[in-house]
Parts: sequence; C-alpha cells; structure tokens
Amino acid sequence: MKLTRDVGLLFWRSELQLLRNPVWLLVGASTPLLYLALFTPLLGELPGLHGRGTGAVLDEFLPGILSLLAFSSGAGPGFNVIFELQSGVIERFRVTPTSRLALLAGPILASMVAMFVFDAILVAVGIAFGFHAHPAGMAVLAVLAGLLMAMVAAFSMATALTTKEISGFAAVINGLNLPVLLLAGVLLPIALGPSWIRALAHVDPLYYLVVASRSLATGGLASSATWEAFAVLVPLCGLTLAWATRVYRRAVA
Amino acid sequence: MTAAIEVDGLRKSFRSRAVTVEAVRGITFAVPGGTVFGLLGPNGAGKTTTLRMLTTLLPIDGGTATVAGVDVARQPATVRQRIGYVSQAGGADDLATGRENLRLQGALYGAARGQLEGRVAELVERLDLSPFADRRVRTYSGGQRRRLDVALGLVHRPQVLFLDEPTTGLDPQNRAHLWEHVRSLADDGTTVVLTTHYLEEADALCDQVVIVDHGQVVAEGTPEALKREVVGESLSLTVRDPGRLDDALGAVQAVDGVLDGTIDGAEVRLRVGDGSAVLPAVLGMLQARGVDVESVNLARPSLDDVFLARTGRSLRDAGGPRAEVAGE
Ligand SMILES: Nc1ncnc2c1ncn2[C@@H]1O[C@H](COP(=O)(O)OP(=O)(O)OP(=O)(O)O)[C@@H](O)[C@H]1O
Ligand SMILES: [Mg+2]
Repeated sequence: MKLTRDVGLLFWRSELQLLRNPVWLLVGASTPLLYLALFTPLLGELPGLHGRGTGAVLDEFLPGILSLLAFSSGAGPGFNVIFELQSGVIERFRVTPTSRLALLAGPILASMVAMFVFDAILVAVGIAFGFHAHPAGMAVLAVLAGLLMAMVAAFSMATALTTKEISGFAAVINGLNLPVLLLAGVLLPIALGPSWIRALAHVDPLYYLVVASRSLATGGLASSATWEAFAVLVPLCGLTLAWATRVYRRAVA
Repeated sequence: MTAAIEVDGLRKSFRSRAVTVEAVRGITFAVPGGTVFGLLGPNGAGKTTTLRMLTTLLPIDGGTATVAGVDVARQPATVRQRIGYVSQAGGADDLATGRENLRLQGALYGAARGQLEGRVAELVERLDLSPFADRRVRTYSGGQRRRLDVALGLVHRPQVLFLDEPTTGLDPQNRAHLWEHVRSLADDGTTVVLTTHYLEEADALCDQVVIVDHGQVVAEGTPEALKREVVGESLSLTVRDPGRLDDALGAVQAVDGVLDGTIDGAEVRLRVGDGSAVLPAVLGMLQARGVDVESVNLARPSLDDVFLARTGRSLRDAGGPRAEVAGE
C-alpha cells in the first residue's frame, strides 16, 4: 500500500522530469532512428542480405536495436542518481519515510515507459520501411526488454550510489559497455567470432535478449531462445533489484 | 522540559584510502524541547556530519543519540517520521515548480490529498514563496531556493527540525524573516537545531549553542552565559585629566563585578562581568573620587570572543570567507 503509493509518486516525478528535459527527449528518440538510418544501408551489403530489400534487413537488424535500447536506457537513471547526490535530492528523500524500494523503482519504471515509447517510434518507422512486425512476438519481446532494462537500471543506480562520483561511475559503466555490447552480437553477429568468444557470450545477459529478439520478431514465440532468455533474465533481474535495494537501505552518502 | 535530543559521546570518522578524517570526536549535548539550538563552528568543524548522524543519514561510529525520544541507531524509521531536515545542499527538484516540490514532499510523508493543498498554500504564504511558487526551481535566486528548502523541511510539521545553514545566501530582510519564523516554530513547540556561520544569528536566535571545533565541543551554554563566563565584557573609559588615570584605575578596581583592569594608552580598560550592571557603580565611584569621565565605551563580547578564548583562534579566520560575511 505504502510501497505502491510511493512508487506511483516517484514514478510521476521522474516521468515529469524526463518530459521537461527536451534535449534528452530529442536525443532519446533520435538515437535509435539514427542507428537504423546509418546501419541499414551498410547491412544491406552483407552477403546473406544482399538484394533482399530493406524489409529483410530491418527484420534482421531492428530487433537488435530494440535490445540495444533496452541496455542503454538502463544507464540513464544511474547518471541521474549521481546528479541528485550532488544536488541533495537523494538525501532529502532518504530522510523521509519513503520506501527504499520505491526510490529505486520509481525512476526505473519512468525510464522504462520512456523506452517503450521510443521502441514504438522505432517500430513504427521500421514498419513504414518494410519491417514485418509480429504483434505477439513484439509483446513478449517488450517484456524481456523491460526485464533487462530494469536490471541494468537497478545496477547502474546502485553503482552510482556506491561510487558517488561521476568519474568512478562512468568508469564502471563505460568499462562494461563495450564487452557487453560486443559479446551480445548486437551490431556484429557473434557467429562470426571464434568459439571462445561464442562461449563467453553466454555470460552476457544482453546476449540472451538479442538472440530471443531475433526469433520473437519473426513470430517464433515458443522458441528455446525465448525460454532461455526468461530463464536467465528473470532471476538476474530479481537478484539485481534485491542487491540494489540493499544498497539503498544501507546508509550511504 | 524533557530533552528532545540527547547526544552522548557521538563519533564519526571517514576512511578513504590511507587517510582517516575524524570528523566528529565525542560530541555530547542535550536540547530541551521547544527551543532553538545552534551548532556553531568553522568550516570542517563537523556540524554537517553531526546533523547527518542525527537524521539517520550516516551510521554512527560511537556514542548514542536519541531524537524525539527515539534511539537513532536502533529505530531510524521512527526517527524519520518525527524529524525534518534541510541539508546544506537543499535538494529541491530543479525541473519542478516550488509548489510541485512541496506537494511531492508532503505526499511522501503520507499526507492525505485533501489536507495537502491547504498545507502547501500555508507554507507558500508563511515563507513568502508566492511570487515564484509556480515557477520551476531552476529559475530561482539563491535566497528563493533556500526559502523553499526550509518549507520542504516543514511540510509534515516535524517535532524536531534540523536546518543546516538555513540562512546562507539570504539577504538581511529575508534572514530576519526566517529567524522570526524559526522563533515562532519553537514557540509552537517544535525543537529546532540549526548550524550557522553567522555569529549574530546564533546570538539572536538560539536559546543555547554549542561551539564545535575539530569535531569537539569547545563551549556550550546560552549565548549570554557563554559570553559572560568566558570573557566578560570590556569597559573602556577616558578621563578629562590624563594625570588622574592611575587614580581612576585604583578607584574602580574596588567595584564589585570588575574582574581586572589595565591602563592602555590614554584609556582605562576594564574586564567586567555584566557591563550594564557594573557601569553605574563604576561611574558613581569615579564621581565620588572627583574624577571627571570624558567617554565610556562598553563592548559586548561576541561569540567570536568565546571561540578565541577557547581555541586561541578567531572563528572568522578559522571559518574562511563565509564566516567573514558573518562578521559584518
Ligand atoms: N563523506 C566524507 N568523506 C570524507 N570526509 C568527509 C566526509 N564528509 C565530511 N568529511 C570531513 O569531515 C570533516 C567535517 O565535515 P563537515 O561537513 O561535518 O563540516 P562542517 O562543520 O559542516 O563544515 P562547513 O561549515 O564547511 O559546512 C571535514 O574535514 C570534512 O572534510
Ligand atoms: Mg556543513
């Protein structure tokens, strides 16, 4: 009761902040479109896709962008925590009896809604250029993307709270960014790599989302990739949220 | 009156790599309910650290603290229900309006929707926020922002209110206004703990102060008592006939309440306990001896004199640029 009320309050607070930040809105909406605009022509030249039209390229590539968006949306709330530590907002909230889980969940849910809006824009633009969207598949993908996003956001927020400063926080996030993206095979298919890279990819949560997203986008609902993604992301997301809440509970500056 | 706050042997050190900063080194004090209590000290003295321990924001390393009858270390959640805290940094949302900030704060404390609007309007009124309450905080001046910060700490009518440098950045008029407000809060039974660099603020506003230096209490008491006990007051006088300075000194030293005296150039300088009480007796004695007094100057000691007497340093020097402002 208290928890849901607090989550609601902090969710709206974050959502309003996002809406009142036009630069962020613009960048958030245009970055995935930019990826699409720049990569689609490149990928069209790949041997398997050559000559099959933009629609086929988008079918292959757009699910990966959605996964990428899920991952990168998670970093935002962490950066915001760093800013709010400095401006005293976090301390102000911590002195109130606000539920600690709500302090975490409010901003995560707000960013998640924003992500879904950007996803929708991306898919709509994709459809206009020939992307074949399977509604049921997209819905399941949205759930998976939400899980991954929540996990990354909880991780980034807790990391921000522990590192306290932008330098330390950025080092952790940037340090993880490249290996996570590369291993997941978002931009380059992981199948091109040597076997040890393919093995290593299995420790990357984003990898499971990317693999599942490809089959889901084409309508393959009950594929093993989907089950695997759920099997990995549900417990991981739960664990990360539990850890992050603990970090929030413990007194930290 | 029962103590609203009891602090006993409070300690805190910060460890970062090789260095350990002992920010608070065994602070003890008690604050009676419904009074205004001041923590005074130079930059880095440990004022903020002390407040952050009392407001559940920092784990306590050693000692105990009870706030509003509740042990801070054992029942932080209960303490949070009963206190308000306005940090040095403030912490209002930049992208929201003042009114939106107040509404959210009230809601987080569990205020019912029906009561919230009225409470927000009341605070806007009492802290003079109305000219800018519906603008985004980002556009506020420093003083406007500070007033909103204070209002945020008051939304839920806390029993104990902690204010970390509440008047920094306020112009004299708004400072006086806030003092009045703090005073009326205390009169209504709220216990207020504030930190300040402004000596006159502690002097004018606080029922009791502790002066902190390097994480330790160097003096405590009412501002009046502190100033009297530690240094007394300084009474200097000049006489029409400089040849009679010695006579004058000899005569007034016998007066009750004169602690000691010296001749400083063309002046007799006396240290006295309570100047306003001693002055008539001194003048009477001189008149009886036939010494014509030319001028009298009674300097009330400031809390800076107290700090100087206890630490050998001036609070103004120790306090850096902000404390200099306080000296004006
Ligand atoms: N998180 C922290 N990590 C390390 N050292 C800290 C931390 N917080 C405070 N300190 C140190 O503890 C000491 C006391 O700091 P504190 O902020 O309590 O001082 P203050 O009396 O509030 O000073 P000011 O008047 O400047 O606000 C300082 O030396 C400060 O550098
Ligand atoms: Mg301070």
